[in-house]
This record gives sequence, C-alpha cells and structure tokens, in this order.
Amino acid sequence: MRHILTIARREIESYFVSPIAYSVLTIFTFVSGLFFSNMIVYYIRQAVVADQQLERLGRSEFQLDVPTVVLQQFFQNEAFLLMFALPLLTMGLITDERRKGTLELLLTSPIRATELAVGKFAGAFGFLVVMALPLVPMFYFLAQGGDWEPGVVASGLLGLLLLGAAQIALGLFISSLCENILVSAIGTYGLLITLQFIDTTASATRSMWAEFLAYFSLYMRHVNLTRGLVSADDVVFFLSLVILGLFLTQRTIEAIRFKRT
Amino acid sequence: MISVTNLSKKYGRFVAVDNLSFAVQQGEVLGFLGPNGAGKTTTMRMITGYLPPSAGRVTVGGNDLYDRPVEAKRLLGYLPENPPVYPEMTVRRYLRFVGALKDIPAGRLSAAVDLAIERTRLGEVANKRISKLSKGFKQRVGLAQAIVHEPPVLILDEPTSSLDPKQRSEVRELIAELKGRHTVLLSTHILPEVSEVADRVFIINRGKVMAVDTPEHLGERLRARDVVRLEVAVAGDAPSVAVRAALAALPGVTNVDASDTPAGTVRAELETPVGVDVRSAAAEAVVGRGWKLLALTGESVSLEAIFLALTADEAAAAAKEQG
Repeated sequence: MRHILTIARREIESYFVSPIAYSVLTIFTFVSGLFFSNMIVYYIRQAVVADQQLERLGRSEFQLDVPTVVLQQFFQNEAFLLMFALPLLTMGLITDERRKGTLELLLTSPIRATELAVGKFAGAFGFLVVMALPLVPMFYFLAQGGDWEPGVVASGLLGLLLLGAAQIALGLFISSLCENILVSAIGTYGLLITLQFIDTTASATRSMWAEFLAYFSLYMRHVNLTRGLVSADDVVFFLSLVILGLFLTQRTIEAIRFKRT
Repeated sequence: MISVTNLSKKYGRFVAVDNLSFAVQQGEVLGFLGPNGAGKTTTMRMITGYLPPSAGRVTVGGNDLYDRPVEAKRLLGYLPENPPVYPEMTVRRYLRFVGALKDIPAGRLSAAVDLAIERTRLGEVANKRISKLSKGFKQRVGLAQAIVHEPPVLILDEPTSSLDPKQRSEVRELIAELKGRHTVLLSTHILPEVSEVADRVFIINRGKVMAVDTPEHLGERLRARDVVRLEVAVAGDAPSVAVRAALAALPGVTNVDASDTPAGTVRAELETPVGVDVRSAAAEAVVGRGWKLLALTGESVSLEAIFLALTADEAAAAAKEQG
C-alpha cells in the first residue's frame, strides 16, 4: 500500500510541475465553463419560447425542465471532453519512465508490477478529481435558479469519474506498450474514440455481433448516468475496464523486461 | 553475497552473456572490466532483476532473484549507467521517494536521506531541482539513491563514464569510501579505476570471462614487465649489434631489441621484470663505452596494455571464426 501511495503521490506532484497537465486543466475548465453557460442561455431561450406558446395557444410543443436538461447535456459534453483531455495525461505514465531510464529504478526496487500499475493509475485518477473540482461552482450556480436535481448532479459526477477511470486505465495500458509519447497519445485516442462510438457501428446492422459490440460502447454506458440512472451493470462495466486496463499494464510491465532494451 | 551460476542472455542468435559464473564475497569490491558491448550492463541488469536471464541463476544474499525477487532486490542498491532521476524533483524529495520505494520505515526516512546527502556531499544542492544540476552532481544523486537504504550490495554500472576528470576523481573517492560498508560490483572500461578500488578484477569480452584475479596478479600472470627505451649515437660499423650486446649483458635484463634509425643512431628497448630498474646501469654502460646517450625513458606495461592484448586476441579469433 505504501508503495502505491508513494508512486501515486510522485505522479500527482509531477503533474503539477508539468506544462502539459496545466494546459489540460486550464483548457478543460475553460471549455467546460463555455459549454455550461452556452447551454444555460440556449435552454432558457427555449423555455421562454415554450412559455410564450403556452400563453398564446394554450399549449406548448415542448416542456422544459431547464436544470435537468442542462445537466444531461453538460455531462455528455464533459464525457467527450475527457476523451480528448485524458490521453494527454496518461500518454507519459509508463512511456516517460522508459524514456528517462527511471523504469530501471522502479523495476529494480522491491516493488511489484501490480503496485506500479495501481500507483500510476491512482496518480492520474487523483488529477482527474482535481479537474472535476472547478465544475462544482457551476452546479452551485445552477442551484441558485431554484428547482434542481442533486441526484442528477451526483450521478453525473459519478459517471464522469467512472468513465474517466476507465479511460485512464486503458491509456495507462497503451502507455506501457509505447516508447514514444506521441505514439502513446495517438494510440489511446484511437482506442477511446473507437470504444466511444462503437454503438454507431453496431446500429448500422442488426445481428448478434452488433449487439455484442454495442455492449462495449462507452457512450451507451455513460449516457444513463447523465440522466440520473445509476445501474449496477454500468458501474460494473466501467470498473471491469479499470481492472482489465490495470491487469494488462501489469502483464506488459513484466514483459518489457523480456525485450531487448 | 552475490552468486551467479551459468548465466546466459541471448537475443535471438546474438549471445550477449555466455555462461557466466562467479561469486562476490561479503565486503569485496569486484571490478568488472571490458570494452563497450562486452556484456557488462546486461550482466548487471540480470543481477538487479531488471532483465530476466535466458539461462542460469542469480542469488543475492541467498535469495534467488527468480523465486524471491522482492527480498533479493531489497538487498540491492543499483546505479545504472545513466542515473535514474526525475529532473523535476528536488534532490531531497527524490531521495525520499526512492527511500520509500526501498522500504525504509517512514520514521527513519528523513535521517536516511540526510545521511545519504552527507555521504555523497550533496548538502549544497539538496533543495535544488535535479534538472539544474551539473553532470557530476547528477551522478552523485545517482550514487545517493543507490546507498540511501544502506543496501549490503551495491551494483554500479560505469559510475564515472561521461564525467570530466575532476568529477571522475571525486566520484572515485566516494566509491573508495563505500568500500568496507558494502559489497560492491563495479563496471568500467577505465582501467586505473579498477586497479585503484577493486580487490578482484574480472575481464569480460563478448559475454565471456577472459581473466579473473587481483589487479597485481593479473599483471604478473600476463607477463607484465618494465621497459626501458634508449636512443644512442655510436660511431663504427653495425652499431646496433654492439649496442644489443652491451645492454644484454646488464643484470636483470630479459630481452633486448635494437635497430638502426635512418638518422644513424640506434634505438634499443630493454625488458626487465616488474620492479627491476636498470635505467642508471644502462646509462653507465652506454656512456662508459664512449657512446652518446640521446634519450632514455622507462615505463611499465599497464593493465591497459594487458587488457588490450586480451581483447584484441579475442577479437582476432572471432574474426577468424567468422572468416
């Protein structure tokens, strides 16, 4: 446990002196704020239109619960943003250690490959939590508007953390395979974008395989959580991806030592 | 402390380390000598558990690296060829990180880090970022991380390569201080280093052991000798024959080689056993015959020459094999 914490702590500290991590944090926060305010303005306009229709015609084509709709849209956009932000944070996790030669220190220390994998994961996940913190004032702002659903906020945040954790674990695995950080980032983008949209491939055909593929869609799994629906199989799905990513990373770290350096 | 049995490492058909066996006793400093690409780094990586061997066994302090890797690694301090540092960390923070990885109890961590900083004389840069340090200081940080947990066994891979002569002698002094506290396995391709600090030298080339002995014995066994070179001006016919006869008669001289130069002088080379000094006798013999002594130098054939001879023989043999 101490090894895991030691590795995680060093990873977080190195994020805070890394220009890459700072840029990711800054731009993620800025774009999140932009999406949030744009959506509020857009849906308030829609709500006003709906109100006017109600007055003139006695009926409205649509009814809007602004806070809930904004939250759903917001969390779906955030999932998309994370897909672009997190590979930049995971690309160097193992790749950098190989490049700097510090992997030699780690692997000749009395620690296990599993501790290394979990420590690295925990470090990146810690930074994800830091990235989520600036979102909290946005929800506070929304709450000032009156009716809102704390449950949707909670499940939306849970969804982001679960999705992010899965993305980090997969990025960590790709990082353990690569000796070049750009290749590591590109590989992770490829994997995450494929998993995100795999359901659209599946919906084009109707077959057992299509349904099977849709089962792995990050989007389909995550979208329920943005609606305030927390179901056990979605949670288990994300946690399984985390464990799979960590397991593959541990296997790769062991195997790195068998290759010519 | 370290025992290596029939260790081999193959990459495809290339054999990097070929059936190596040796043992390092507690408190001993073993020098690992060989040209670049001889298999030194590969061997050290197998002993530290970074690379798995293709065949053979390594035990450290009785712990087999395959069966009990964590126990074995706990006994090791390892400085790879390039110090494994995180440039963005300060020296102190980095050493605390390494100390925690090496299982120093939390209560003793600060004291251990302070001691390592003191022993490697890093006090003045302890709170600086490693990226700001010179190469010599970085190397000392590398040494500090290897000793921070006071490991019984130290493995140092070319600790002085890529340093300037001043930094090199500083690091060499530090290593000399480590003697006695740790069992040390040290690799280098710089010869004076080995004869200075090592109890035993291990010459390795192309993955095979060429010779193992103390630096002194190696010299004797491989016909180390002192050489005196003279240049003499002699009047008369066939001067080189006369010079050879005169010098060969000196006590202690085992071999004489003399030849005429285009300038009309004679160049001679005397060989004597190590420690026999015939310089003044040779000078007297020349001057006493009325010849003019133009130059006289003495030198001893060093480990370097022995090493070159050993590895050159091997290279020639390999070339023949392939041809």
